[in-house]
Amino acid sequence: MRLLVSWLQLLLIAPSLLVAAASDYHEQLTLRPLPFSSVLASFHFRSNTSLTDFESQNFRLFPRSLGQILQHAGTRELHLRFTLGRWDAENWGARPWEGTREGGTGVEMWAWLDASTDEEADQKWLTLTNALSGLFCASLNFIDETRTIRPVKSFQPEGHHSAETLANTRLLHGVLPHEVVCTENLTPFIKMLPCKGKAGIGSLLDGHKLFDASFQSMAIDVRPVCPPGEDCFLEVEETIDMVLDINRSKRPQGNSIPRPVPPQDLVCDQSKPYHSDKTCFPIDHLGSPDWNLAQVFGRPMKGTCPLADPEVPPVCIQVPGSRDVFSTEGSQEKQGADGQSRCYLLDPNNDFTLALTNLRSDDKATEEIVKPEAPLLYADRSFTGYGQEHGGVQAILTNPSDEEVEFVYLESLPWFMRIYLHTLSTHVSTSTATSTNSSTPNSDIIKEVYYRPALDRARGTQLELVLRIPARHTVFLTYDFEKAILRYTEYPPDANRGFDVAAAVITILSPRGMNLRTTSLLLYLPTPDFSMPYNVIIFTSTAIALAFGGLYNILVRRFVGADEGPPSPIKAKLAQLKAKFMRKPAATVQQPTEAKK
Amino acid sequence: MSRLLSTALSLRRDPRVLKLPPYLSFLCVLIGLVWLLLLPLDNYCRKNYISENALLPGQVHTYFGGSEHHVLRAYRNEVEALVDQDNHQINDKLEEILRGFGVKVGRQSYTYHAAGHEYSGENLYGILQAPRGDATEAIVLVAAWKSIKGELNHNGVSLALSLARYFKRWSLWSKDIIIVFPPDSHTGTQAWVDAYHDAHDPKHVAPLPLKSGALQGALAIDYPLNHRFQSMHIIYDAANGQLPNLDLINAVVNIAGGQMGIQSFIQGMRQHKGTYRDRLRTMFRGMLSQGLGTAAGPHSSFIPYHVDAVTLQPYGTGFHDEMAMGRVVEGSFRSLNNLLEHLHQSFFFYLLIQKDRFVSIGTYLPSAMLLAANFSIMAIFLWVKSGQSPQSTSEDRGTKAGKASSEKEIGSSLSSGAAERGFIFPLGLVIVCHALSAIPLYTFNHLPAELLPTAFAAFWALSSALPFVICYGIGPLYKPTQQHAHLTKAFSLLILGMALSTLATLNFSLSFIIGLLAAPLSFVKSTKSQVLNFSISALLNLISPPAIIFAAASVYGAEVGEVLREASFGWHIWGMYTPVVVWAVWWPAWTIGMVNTLGLAGE
Repeated sequence: MRLLVSWLQLLLIAPSLLVAAASDYHEQLTLRPLPFSSVLASFHFRSNTSLTDFESQNFRLFPRSLGQILQHAGTRELHLRFTLGRWDAENWGARPWEGTREGGTGVEMWAWLDASTDEEADQKWLTLTNALSGLFCASLNFIDETRTIRPVKSFQPEGHHSAETLANTRLLHGVLPHEVVCTENLTPFIKMLPCKGKAGIGSLLDGHKLFDASFQSMAIDVRPVCPPGEDCFLEVEETIDMVLDINRSKRPQGNSIPRPVPPQDLVCDQSKPYHSDKTCFPIDHLGSPDWNLAQVFGRPMKGTCPLADPEVPPVCIQVPGSRDVFSTEGSQEKQGADGQSRCYLLDPNNDFTLALTNLRSDDKATEEIVKPEAPLLYADRSFTGYGQEHGGVQAILTNPSDEEVEFVYLESLPWFMRIYLHTLSTHVSTSTATSTNSSTPNSDIIKEVYYRPALDRARGTQLELVLRIPARHTVFLTYDFEKAILRYTEYPPDANRGFDVAAAVITILSPRGMNLRTTSLLLYLPTPDFSMPYNVIIFTSTAIALAFGGLYNILVRRFVGADEGPPSPIKAKLAQLKAKFMRKPAATVQQPTEAKK
Repeated sequence: MSRLLSTALSLRRDPRVLKLPPYLSFLCVLIGLVWLLLLPLDNYCRKNYISENALLPGQVHTYFGGSEHHVLRAYRNEVEALVDQDNHQINDKLEEILRGFGVKVGRQSYTYHAAGHEYSGENLYGILQAPRGDATEAIVLVAAWKSIKGELNHNGVSLALSLARYFKRWSLWSKDIIIVFPPDSHTGTQAWVDAYHDAHDPKHVAPLPLKSGALQGALAIDYPLNHRFQSMHIIYDAANGQLPNLDLINAVVNIAGGQMGIQSFIQGMRQHKGTYRDRLRTMFRGMLSQGLGTAAGPHSSFIPYHVDAVTLQPYGTGFHDEMAMGRVVEGSFRSLNNLLEHLHQSFFFYLLIQKDRFVSIGTYLPSAMLLAANFSIMAIFLWVKSGQSPQSTSEDRGTKAGKASSEKEIGSSLSSGAAERGFIFPLGLVIVCHALSAIPLYTFNHLPAELLPTAFAAFWALSSALPFVICYGIGPLYKPTQQHAHLTKAFSLLILGMALSTLATLNFSLSFIIGLLAAPLSFVKSTKSQVLNFSISALLNLISPPAIIFAAASVYGAEVGEVLREASFGWHIWGMYTPVVVWAVWWPAWTIGMVNTLGLAGE
């Protein structure tokens, strides 16, 4: 009997499962403690809708606001990134999602648009950026043609497209390095989630904590997916990665000033000979502190999202098996798929929290964290040179692994940074000893160059290089540029701050696909003293007044001979006066002469 | 307008005008000097103000205190334990401490050579990445291991370490904070800043392994005292008389005085009552250090790269402790952190006469310009004079009556009064004298320090003998005339005037000092009496460049060798150009002046 009931239940659920397959929702939070008391929190939300539903505007879990924009702008595939801070690869290792879910500092987006010509693509791109700008409260509408490029090598469509649709699509890529990502961008992001921030892992997203993170990246990816033998559907993935500093996040909201701790709370190295109650060598930075979910995110997790797939555990944590993790009662621990993580199935109606305890400092045997995986490539880019006329860029690309790495290096530079491609050069040194420099010819490192030069005020420079770095080698990629002088109305109000240059995008092709980005740069251009126009106006006015006065005088004057003209009235007056003065003394003193006359 | 021109044109033939220039020239020198002396008066200087609103100095609470003091004591113990160790061992320990609280650390070694000495060391620096920043901007805190005077900067280093640990906890930094520990205050920062901007010579200075964004400002702590301090000395001079933005100095003075109650002073004027005398002394001290062009502290190396920087040096015995100093740094860093743009408002050219009063460039520049103009006026006067044949003056008087008539007549009278000018000898002489300046410039910058006093004495003797050689040895071979003497002097003064007026915009003080010392050169000329000539040349010898250097060195109780070693050091490491001005501008002018006094024409 019981068996029958369960069979019946299964039969009843089956159709609803089928519906869910066409339009389902999945969310998961992965926590990974990192060195130096940081923790990486990766939020992943995925929902999809069948293409037929999408075309008939039948939105269920797919956000309608976004869907309508995509339809209107003819977008096949969209990738949008909001990033703040930088990923510290040296300490934190490889990036989450292999770096595919992050952008350069600021806002970055790229999309495949339905367009048969470049003009049409530009038009649709303009529509798309303006619409998204409104939706996400970001200045995406400032992605104009000077900040838009058409990458050739770096980006490949992630979704499934048929060959004929791909032939009729154009890839455009735009970046706004100066855009400061903040809460106004998070709110529309959360609004697109089926459970908003009310339940499930979305309830942990708090602007105060997210934007206090050492690194955070919000990503939206929309792509069509066609599983073999099934109908195609459109998938939207929202990802938020953040690296929280535990000590900073644990501070209570009302008292977030990091005042010095009371002396008795200092953790001191008591083995120091000078240790006393007034002298303390701090060792509180060693070891990861104890924390719990509610503390670091400022609130506990509010149950699960009822729309989410109940089979997928919403919270996972990656810590070594030897470390104790405590979770709220009612939750169920499960071994994660990769063996290193522990996942939790929760009670859908209760608050959930997770706690990690502090390790005792004498307990050296226990591993605190899962050792971060080393990245395939380290990239560091900086400006060289000084002064207002020329400059240079140096990218230091280090391959720490034992395999050769091949990748595409993409630079999208503003037009006022005029690069000299002939100065593009590489030099190689082994990672271990930088002194033994060997100058390998460019051709051994740079395999391919795709260069689209800038046009003043019309488009920026696009430079794509396919590079190959041998194992354990460092490549110094350098090129020089000239700084253009802008018209004085082209300067922004904070001209003396400099101009942001977008991050370089590195797409690793082999041994496996991976992405990373350098930090953005601040470029100083020759900046005029903006009080100068007033000085110039005053100067030129004076000069013109003087010159014009003289010239006008000569032009309108009628020249006549000195004897022809009428006697000058002033001269006559002067003569009269003179005569008067002359007469007086003459009358008194020179009486005799007059008499003589 | 046209009438004005014609009046001016007619005036130029007036013999009274031709007599005027020497007096005018003298008047320029006099006004220039008086002008400078007037500057400290209330009417000619202004009160300091913060021009960059973003700085908001002293508007934040500073929290560096409490248990941080315990940490500071511990770090000071660590630092004091390293006293006898070498540069690398010290850096190993500092690196360990910095890495302990998660700061990225880099090292850079360098070797400089100057005056036969080798200056080498290793810089250690840590980058405290702004929690939410993107490595586009950075501010720098410098704590040299050895203070400016060469003492152990133990409080400075331990303060920098504890501040780094303290700053790490704040999430409000918008710029990276770089903490640099150079081994000394004179060479280390120069190597570091050069390498940061890739302007270093890779043969001597290693590149930096780690970098951040564009530097926005720097503070250096020079704190070797062992006791509580009374006041704070703000050192702001950089090499070649460059200055940091006035806003930075104002902000630090404001934070120290207004918020922390620490009195600050500048240019070593500890007792400044705000009187005319004190102001004048402060200004003269400032001008002297600007004129010498030496780097005053570890902050100096930043300024040529348009990174504003000052050194803070606690002074005296009082009641302020290290934590107060730490809070001054914290407050200043919070102000710099507020900057949205690079410091650009306020002034880059100023003379400070008190910690809160300054003279702006528009007010002080005319004095140096007038001094420089005096040479140009005399040069033009001599040029005109050299163009007149001896009899032309009488002809001039004859044509005076007909001056108002047509242009043609003036033209003809001009040609009749003009004499052909012989250029080759005067130009050659001036060029040779200037070319000879390469000798002292090269010798003093390349000899080892031990040989410098001997070389100086030898050069002094040679320099004194040179005018006699020219006048009595070489001169007569070319049979120079009075006109040649005029032209030689005209060219020499023209170069001097041009060089000094250009220099006045770059380094006002140096231009003013040289202008003043060279002023007599525009008035000396040979007379009929040989005795008078010799006595004037003897007096001129008193103001010869070597004599002045010797006198200045003895007044300050330094050896000449030491001064020259310092100059050579500055030339090689800081790129100090004072030797060029002294040997290639002033010394040739003085030599020509001597030649003219002794009588080139041999009358």
